[in-house]
Amino acid sequence: MTNRETEWSALLQAADAGDGRAYARFLHAITPVLRGIVRARGRNLAPDDHEDILQEVLLAIHAKRHTRDAAAPVLPWLYAIARHKVVDAFRRRGTAVHLPIEDLAEDLLADPDPDLLALRDSNRLIGQLDPRAAQIVRAVSIEGETPAEVGGRLGMTDGAVRVALHRALQRMAALVKGEDR
Amino acid sequence: MKTDDLIAALAAQPAPQPLWLPGLALRIIGITALACVVFLLVLGPRADLAAALIRPEVVMKTALPALICTIALWLAVRQARPRLHPRAGLAGLALPLGIALGLWLLAFATRAPEARFADVTPPALAECLGLILLISALPATMALRILQRGAPTAPALAGALAGLASSAGAATGYSLFCMQDNPLFYVTWYGAAIGIVTLASAVAGSRMLRW
Repeated sequence: MTNRETEWSALLQAADAGDGRAYARFLHAITPVLRGIVRARGRNLAPDDHEDILQEVLLAIHAKRHTRDAAAPVLPWLYAIARHKVVDAFRRRGTAVHLPIEDLAEDLLADPDPDLLALRDSNRLIGQLDPRAAQIVRAVSIEGETPAEVGGRLGMTDGAVRVALHRALQRMAALVKGEDR
Repeated sequence: MKTDDLIAALAAQPAPQPLWLPGLALRIIGITALACVVFLLVLGPRADLAAALIRPEVVMKTALPALICTIALWLAVRQARPRLHPRAGLAGLALPLGIALGLWLLAFATRAPEARFADVTPPALAECLGLILLISALPATMALRILQRGAPTAPALAGALAGLASSAGAATGYSLFCMQDNPLFYVTWYGAAIGIVTLASAVAGSRMLRW
C-alpha cells in the first residue's frame, strides 16, 4: 500500500523535474490499475469503450498534472481525478455508475501484486501455463465465462475450476515477479 | 490509438508549471479589489466615512463581507485541486453567517417596530442590489476563468465559492459608499445580492469548470 504511494510519488517528482521517462513509467504503472477499475465498473459496455474510457482518464491525469500538490500524497489526488473522469465517462455513455470512494480506494490501494485484470492482457504469460490451466484462465478472465460454464465444458466441478483458476493466477503472478527481478 | 502510444505521446510533452493556490487567490482578490477601487473612484466613498466608522454597525457592514470574502476565497482556490471530499471545510462559512444572523436579530430586537424596515424603498434597493451586482460581474467572471486552470471535482460548488468570494469582496467595497447603516437593511440586501451572484456562479461553474 505504501509501496504504490512512495513509488508513484517518486516517479512524479522525477517527472516534474523534467524526466519524461519517469513520467512514462508512472503512466504505465497506473494503467493496469485504472483499466481494472474501468472494466470492473463497466461490464455493460463494450471492451472498446473500456479502452477509450481508460484513455480519457489518462488524458485527464495528464491535462491536470499540474494540480497535484507536491507536498501531499499522490494517491488521493489520483483517486479524485480517476473517480471524476470515470463517472463522467460512464455518464456520457448513458450508464450511471456508482463509484464509492471506499471501493475506489480499495482498487487503487490493492496489493501491488499483478492483479487479474492486468494479467488478462498477457497472452504470453498464459502460454507458459499448462494447457488446461491456460484454457480456464482464457475462458474466465478473458471471455468472461462463469466457472460453472467452463466446468461444464471441461467436465470439472465449479469448485475445481475456481481452484484451478486461482492456482493459475498465482502461478502467473509468480512468473511476473520472476521477470521483474 | 493504442494506450501505449498514447502514453509515449504524453510523456514526450514538457512538465507543466505546478499550480500555486496563493497565486490564484491573489489574482482573484486583485481583480475584485480593482473593481472596488474603480467604483469608489467613480462614485466616491460616503462623505462622512471616517466619522461613521467609529460606529460598530458601520464597521460590521464592511468587516463582515470582508470576512466572508476571505473565507470563501480560500475555500474556492482549494477547489482548484481535485478533491475526494469537495465539501470539507465549508463549515468555516458558518462563522460569518452566524455573525450576520446575530447582527440581524440584535437590530430587530433593539429597534422600534416602525424604524426596522423604514429604509426599504425601491430606489434604495435598486441602488444596493444593482451596484453590488455591477461591481461583482467582472470579478466573478474572472474568478471562474482563473479556476479553469484547476481541476475542481465539484464544478458547481467551486463556481459558487468563486462567486461568493467575488461578490462579498464587491460588497466590501460598496459598503464604503453605502449610507444604509441599519443591519436589517444591509444584512438582508447585501445578502441577497451576494446570494444572486453565488447562485449564478454555481450555474456558470457547472458549465465552465467541467473538465
